[in-house]
Amino acid sequence: MKRRHFLKQAAAGMMLPVFFDGYGARAFGQESAFVQALAKLADVNDRVLVMIQLNGGNDGINMVLPLDQMSKYTSLRSNIAIPEAKALKLYNTLTTGLHPAMTGLQTLANDGKLAIVQGVSYPSPNFSHFRASDIWFTGANASQTLTTGWLGRYLNTEYPGYPDKYPNTTMPDPLAVQISAIASTALLGPAQSMAIAIQNPDTFATLVGDKAVQDPGTSTNTPAGRNLTFIRQQQVSSVQYAAQLKTAATKGKNLVTYPTSNSLADQLKIVARLIHGGSRTKVYYVSLGGFDTHASQTTATDTTTGTHANLLKQVSDGIKAFMDDLKAQGTEDRVAGMTFSEFGRRVASNGSVGTDHGTAAPVFVFGKGVKTQFIGKTPNLSDLDNGNLKMQYDFRQIYATLLTDWLGETTSTVTSVLQQSFQLLPIFQQLYLGTEDPVAEFRLYPNPASSEVFLQSDVLRGNVHTVDVLNSAGQWQRVPTRRLAADQFQLTVRDLPMGTYIIQVETDQQRISKRLLVTR
Amino acid sequence: MPWLTPINQPLTAAQAAHLLRRATSGSTPGQVKSFTGLSPAAAVTRLLADQPVPALPLDATTGETYTDKPFVEASQGNHQNWLKGWWLNLMISEGTSVREKMVLFWQNHFVTTFAEVNDSRFMYRYNALLRQHALGNFSDFVIAVTKDPAMLRYLNGNQNTQGKANENYARELQELFTIGLGKGNYTEADVKAAARVLTGWTDTGYRNTTIPTISSTFRIAQHDTLDKAFSELYGSVLIKGRTTATAGDDEIADLIKMILAQPETARFIVRKLYIWFVGAEITADVETNFIEPLAKIFRDNNYQIKPVLTALFTSSHFYDDAVRGAMIKSPVELIVGCLRWFGVPAPDPVKDTTNFYTYTNYLLSRAREQQQDLMDQPTVFGWRAYYDTGLYQIWITANTLALRGYFTDQLVNGLFKVNGKAYTFDPVEVAKTLPDPSDAFKLVDDLTGQLFATTLTNAQKDFLVDTVLLAGLPRYEWPADWIDAAQNNIAAKRTVVKMKLTNLFLYLLRMAEFQLL
Repeated sequence: MKRRHFLKQAAAGMMLPVFFDGYGARAFGQESAFVQALAKLADVNDRVLVMIQLNGGNDGINMVLPLDQMSKYTSLRSNIAIPEAKALKLYNTLTTGLHPAMTGLQTLANDGKLAIVQGVSYPSPNFSHFRASDIWFTGANASQTLTTGWLGRYLNTEYPGYPDKYPNTTMPDPLAVQISAIASTALLGPAQSMAIAIQNPDTFATLVGDKAVQDPGTSTNTPAGRNLTFIRQQQVSSVQYAAQLKTAATKGKNLVTYPTSNSLADQLKIVARLIHGGSRTKVYYVSLGGFDTHASQTTATDTTTGTHANLLKQVSDGIKAFMDDLKAQGTEDRVAGMTFSEFGRRVASNGSVGTDHGTAAPVFVFGKGVKTQFIGKTPNLSDLDNGNLKMQYDFRQIYATLLTDWLGETTSTVTSVLQQSFQLLPIFQQLYLGTEDPVAEFRLYPNPASSEVFLQSDVLRGNVHTVDVLNSAGQWQRVPTRRLAADQFQLTVRDLPMGTYIIQVETDQQRISKRLLVTR
Repeated sequence: MPWLTPINQPLTAAQAAHLLRRATSGSTPGQVKSFTGLSPAAAVTRLLADQPVPALPLDATTGETYTDKPFVEASQGNHQNWLKGWWLNLMISEGTSVREKMVLFWQNHFVTTFAEVNDSRFMYRYNALLRQHALGNFSDFVIAVTKDPAMLRYLNGNQNTQGKANENYARELQELFTIGLGKGNYTEADVKAAARVLTGWTDTGYRNTTIPTISSTFRIAQHDTLDKAFSELYGSVLIKGRTTATAGDDEIADLIKMILAQPETARFIVRKLYIWFVGAEITADVETNFIEPLAKIFRDNNYQIKPVLTALFTSSHFYDDAVRGAMIKSPVELIVGCLRWFGVPAPDPVKDTTNFYTYTNYLLSRAREQQQDLMDQPTVFGWRAYYDTGLYQIWITANTLALRGYFTDQLVNGLFKVNGKAYTFDPVEVAKTLPDPSDAFKLVDDLTGQLFATTLTNAQKDFLVDTVLLAGLPRYEWPADWIDAAQNNIAAKRTVVKMKLTNLFLYLLRMAEFQLL
């Protein structure tokens, strides 16, 4: 059973699954009074979303490596292919590896703090940088033009009356902060950007001064009048928020060392300081450019080095340092982030040691709240659409999941923000099954176990996407997993505390759960 | 009156100021005076008149030219900044011409960047090519850009070879340089076919430390000699594959001819000119009444650029009240505009080269921090303020607004210094050029009338007089103070009056109105 179908059936109530997320139990796809009450409670949450834009169209195929199809992969892009031996291996998967430059994210993945969503795109993908970026920013369909950003619409719903009624005592801080001189379209609200763009919180206050230019002018509803209103509003907001940002930046401290010569890390460092300094800002937005690797994506002599490797290293090291900092600050529970790029790149490389514009690509979601790590399959390199990867998930499913399961918005709000209803992904939820599948030929031994456990079944002979071990609270456990034979896996449970666990295996065909008792 | 119909009445002062603000790198009060009373046609003839080719930039350390010499790795950083500064000064020092404003338009249209190309001689050649064709024929221009060495590097045309097509240039040629994406003006297959047409070109002389010559060349062995079929969107044109040494030129000519035969290409370019010169809001009315007939002029004149600009700058729509102030100044328009309006020219680029570049480097830094780095756009799309949602408003954030104010404060306060000398203006001298500066209200009225694109309300003017200029003192004291300061040259009075006027200028240049064009 494909996951999509599985979820659909689950939603239909067949198996009565219950999801655990940050707010407790949520009946999947339901709007019961209980869930509504939970969602209401969530309105006052202090959770933060960090968006990381990878500008230019990131080559997802070299970032998240399809370890199950390496010969096909190597033949399609021989001049830039990462050798299988160099790929970074991850716990709980045999099919998915990371680019060798991404050791930081490897650690996060193995700590259970990274979700990899495969094959993210949308129907009829666009190959223009601008149009494709705009689709991601606004959350539009490929055939539709929207004039507001998806985050802008979310913030406008959560904080109605911006900018006139803000800052106020309940929201004294900027709703969103972009570490940049210019704010992204994603943050554009109905009237204006919902974000304050700053480059340096220390000098910002000095720069904007402590009082706005007092301008008694009125403005008319002409192009000039609208420009004047807009500029005056920016003057006022900048002054209003300058002191608040300076306070947070002064109070906040970075508690780890960030990598140098890494512009993404520089931006995330500021974000971490503002979070630590007590800013209630809901959304932070940072970006890294240079992913449009039409030529010289790797060095000719060593495909694990070069332009793309450097960029991925910046992403990986930057996010790792940021997460370490949040952990040291004690703010780790409050923050989740995602990376995105306007499109992936063509599966086959070109003659310039580069790749042309493509379609679907993986998205990373990071944070301590992540519960399911591998969503979707490694892309099928033998089933392409005009040389491009087929989509597995719509990017707006991730947006919907972030809004619902991370930021705690109700289903109806999310549908209104995204202008359509999207099936959620189990990124922040762990499926906990009331019943176990009656699979006769599925052996788990010894059970009870103390150090090593073996899984044996014919159903393991195909593609195995994940082998997860969950504790009785539904929390994912870090367990070294090894494939011993085509039909056999070994799990090392030596480090698990005694208790009852659930082993979940997902293959192309099905998802199987077995109960395991660990005793010593 | 139909929107594109030329107006024939002599230009009023307000119209002349509007024309000069929009069509040149910045108006000055003197230029406005000289254009007032001209017929729009005569004014535009002056703006479009041919200008001499500027002298080459000089190396501050040697005093020699460098863009026509072999590559020097160690000097690249300086050579790049100096080339940017050289161009910035062409904008600052230019007379009443549309040329540099058009060069900037085309540099933001056919983008290549120092960051990618990284050889100042390539970038000089590219910049000179933009100037050469800025007011010429668009068809010739596109062909020249397609083969330009900097462009071949920037969009990987030099790596586009038979059997190993690199689609980068072929896509942007259509999406950004000619026909535009529209609602699907071409197919993915057209991108691939165009890439095959363009196979075989490469640049020569890149970062060559012994030979000064740079050029582009066509290699038939790297060219895809098969026929290239285009979709029905292009009328199912088949571009014949050639095998001779001129195959590259012949096929480019066919390709550009095919793209320019589509009426959408003329519309696409005219829309971009509209956003550059007129306003951001292309409504259905603008499309029907202005874009469409102007695009027809473009096509009917075989893609000559001057007839389009003539029609645009003499049209009744261009002088509509609603158009005035509809644009927000770009950082370069703000900075260059200030230096032109207040008359703060650069040191002599030949006799005082080092100080000249200190001056331009300072200004380039200000433009860069306000997010407009010349010949270094963030992407091939150019600056976001000319294509993305919100358009010019994208230039304005809390941050950039503060940096704009920082620049004007430095200029007014005399803190923009080169080698100890302040590059600033004397506010008393500026006030003296006004018709009646001894009347505080008339001073503010005339000054803001010249400085701003829009008209202030009387309440705003009263505020500027009483709160900003006079800081609460009664208006009747101003005439005597002014006469003592400006005519009787009493030092103490001059100091006081200058301080008051300095406050006024600091305030005026930070006002929202000053950001409008």
